[in-house]
Amino acid sequence: MIGKVQELAKQYLTSGKVGAIFGLRENNGHIAPHIFKEVEELDSLVISPKYPLFYTCRPSKKNIPRLLQEKYPEIKVGVVAKGCDERALIELAKRDQVDIKNIEILGVACTKEEAVECKCSKPYPYNLLIGERVEGVSEDKDAEDLLKKGLPERLAFWQYQLSKCIKCYGCRNACPLCFCKDCALEQELWSKRGELPPEIPVFHFIRFYHLADRCIECGECEKACPMDIPLLTISKQVRKDVKELFDYEAGLDVGQESPLLTTLDETPMGETISDGV
Amino acid sequence: MEYKNVLTVCPYCGCGCNFYLQVLDGELIGILPCKSHIVSEGKLCIKGWNASDFVVSKDRLTKPLMKKDGEFIEISWDKALDVISAKLKQYSPDSVALLSSAKCTNEENYLMMKLARAVIKTNSVDHCARLCHASTVVGLVKTFGSGAMTNSIGELEDADCIFVIGSNTTEQHPLIARYIMRAKEKGTKLIVADPRLIPLTQFADYHLRQRPGTDVALINGFMNVILSEGLEDKEFIKERTEGFEELKEVVKKYTPEYVEKITGVSKELLIEAARMFAEVKSSSIVYSMGITQHTTGVDNVVSCANLAMLTGNVGRLSTGVNPLRGQVNVQGACDVGALPNVYSGYQSVADENVRTKFEKAWRTKLPQNSGLTVVEMMNEAAKGNLKAMYIMGENPMLSDPDINHVKEALENLEFLVVQDIFLTETAQLADVVLPGASYAEKDGTFTATDRRVQRIRKAIDPVGESKPDWQIVCELARKMGSGEFEYSSPAEIMDEIASVTPIYGGMVYERLEDIGLQWPCLSKEHPGTPYLHKGRFSRGKGRFFGIEFKEAAELPDEEYPFILTTGRTIFHFHTGTMSRRTEALNREVPTGYMEINFKDAKELGIVDGEKVSAQSRRGEIEVKAMVTKRVPQGVIFIPFHFAESAANMLTNSVLDPVAKIPEYKVCAVKVEKVQLKPDPVNH
Repeated sequence: MIGKVQELAKQYLTSGKVGAIFGLRENNGHIAPHIFKEVEELDSLVISPKYPLFYTCRPSKKNIPRLLQEKYPEIKVGVVAKGCDERALIELAKRDQVDIKNIEILGVACTKEEAVECKCSKPYPYNLLIGERVEGVSEDKDAEDLLKKGLPERLAFWQYQLSKCIKCYGCRNACPLCFCKDCALEQELWSKRGELPPEIPVFHFIRFYHLADRCIECGECEKACPMDIPLLTISKQVRKDVKELFDYEAGLDVGQESPLLTTLDETPMGETISDGV
Repeated sequence: MEYKNVLTVCPYCGCGCNFYLQVLDGELIGILPCKSHIVSEGKLCIKGWNASDFVVSKDRLTKPLMKKDGEFIEISWDKALDVISAKLKQYSPDSVALLSSAKCTNEENYLMMKLARAVIKTNSVDHCARLCHASTVVGLVKTFGSGAMTNSIGELEDADCIFVIGSNTTEQHPLIARYIMRAKEKGTKLIVADPRLIPLTQFADYHLRQRPGTDVALINGFMNVILSEGLEDKEFIKERTEGFEELKEVVKKYTPEYVEKITGVSKELLIEAARMFAEVKSSSIVYSMGITQHTTGVDNVVSCANLAMLTGNVGRLSTGVNPLRGQVNVQGACDVGALPNVYSGYQSVADENVRTKFEKAWRTKLPQNSGLTVVEMMNEAAKGNLKAMYIMGENPMLSDPDINHVKEALENLEFLVVQDIFLTETAQLADVVLPGASYAEKDGTFTATDRRVQRIRKAIDPVGESKPDWQIVCELARKMGSGEFEYSSPAEIMDEIASVTPIYGGMVYERLEDIGLQWPCLSKEHPGTPYLHKGRFSRGKGRFFGIEFKEAAELPDEEYPFILTTGRTIFHFHTGTMSRRTEALNREVPTGYMEINFKDAKELGIVDGEKVSAQSRRGEIEVKAMVTKRVPQGVIFIPFHFAESAANMLTNSVLDPVAKIPEYKVCAVKVEKVQLKPDPVNH
């Protein structure tokens, strides 16, 4: 399959459909995002293991395609995107964090194995060009097992999990949708600074709530956690609640306004780059 | 449009985590964790995530500086090196000393010690390893034959029991704590011995809260229980060790009752913990400064080695004695010989064959006498015997014990050169300051705590006129007339290191590109060594030593009733040169504080956040009190990162007699109120 991806990327590049390809490159056994400008380079293009392509750079709080677009607006970039990359792109575009019109998606499907590993419910992009669409993981076993338990047990479980936190902010840093200029997690108002573990549960729940209408279930938060806290389990529950309450799913459609950004009479409140909340 | 992800090693602690420096058109735009790295696996701590901040700080030194009428003026590189060269040549070799740096690469440390020995002709070259793990090097060499972490970080996950003593792993080596926590979740038993409540203690099966400075007694107590219950590994002792009778004799009197009296750890807990350690198949000991930074530092380390050998926990996967090194390249700086008594690979300067080998390799005569250690340098400078120092990437004005004394010593020098990336407290005292390049601006290698030699890679050009330290040292050596400092790249320096250093014999850059190699790596074909002493100790047989408990040098008394113990927090690093220039870290912890037990605070009428005075026989500081249960009664804790409330104004510079490491972990202090108005502590 990787051969096909490389072939398509080469076509896009040589035909001038795009000026550069943004994807993953392998170098000495290590994988990292890369901008491919030359056809010859594309032999080192890979699609796994997964890596966040729309990762937020700090301190600018902007993703790589956005930084490129600001500097090189004339260059159209092709992005070798998996399902979660595409969802991130859609959600970011919706929130004015990237110009989706100047991006060409080379959609790639994930394998069943990858879907299971990521506990992903939709392991393919809408613009699927390469690979076979496989069914996602529909049930959330971790959550179901927990929900079978009583409240005190669940509370004890989360108290234990969150007590492992070393406040690296990796869950936030690795999140493609965490781009706020002033991050609530950093404010003394909500959670006392400089403490290990940070206040339970407020520190983590601020993040979960803040991402309620943004989380695209890529799982990068959980993968970045040095203490293996099962963060995705809660994110998935919150996402499920938002779907049930508002019939809204992040990362689905650029035109769909978040229910948390509309007033009661459904007029959009708007969200722009400058006041990203 | 040039976008690069440059794989490199985090510049903070010794875990050796890798990350990518993200560069867009020559500008650092962020840090991305490396998912394929063997230790960090796509995770980082808060310091790692923010490790590019200080690189682009406006405080970076960009030009050589020279002091004129008490003020620094900018000068050219040529002028600076001329001045330094002329000055250093003016003094006799014995009156010059060099401090190398655990923040610099292996190649740079090797060149610094080569400059000292081959050009200046002194063995007085040392670095901050003296202040953290000098006792490890001595203690593990005499017991095992090799002074480094025996096993690999990842192996901790599969141990049956982990005994953490004197290591606040979660805060000091966060990504190693990850493996301890993973082990715990798989069912590994965890014993933590620490006077303080640390993040690990809440997950421990046993928390042994010993009085600071009583580790030898505690470990002897473990061994007493193990021997009296017949839990020792008889076959291992017989086949692989010597000196067992000596140990047995000494340990006899350390009954749980006796040990309880000394340490304050209840005999029941001690017995249960000792059984837990001895009864399983694979037990790992993890330690750090809580063991090493004592006048009995070597004794403490030897005791850890005794316990491991007694239970047959050496030379196998997921066992061993695992000192965690605090600085990113403190292991490497030792490995390549930035120490006054050994060349690279721990080859003794006193050994004539070794010296002849280096004289041949470097084509010059070399000095025979062992040189001065860090604290001895300060003592000699204060006395006026040491005239000039060249300090690269170290900040003794905050890191060394008894800062008043250090200041007096450095000011007494006739000539001081400091090479750093910032104008540190130490650099401010210099006659000439040279701007070094940061880790992000150069190539080289760092050696992680588990002996893994890894590449660091240049991501951006050095800021201003700063230069990589290896280039500066080479230029200075050439100015001083040496023809032995012609290198086109760090790779070439590594080739020379490999040619004269058996344990690095197989290290070449091509082999280090993916996950690096762990020494000993004896030849180009050697695969490296994940764990040491398999089948045979480096010294042949493992050597037991019977160690008697000795009290710390300065105990609390009526006038100074508290024990002060010092350390670090997860949010800062050492003297704060880098971490205090990082917004995300300052936001968490902006200034120093003093942990005091709530009962003691109540007695003294001290409330949380109140500014108090802490005094020892050597100095006094004002610092905010943090009223807490973290420290037991009678003990206070102050992190040493903060110049405005420097813990090392108070600490005692008394040394371990062999390793010459100062006793940072125990000294006597008193605490007094200075004002009545509370000011909420921002921590």
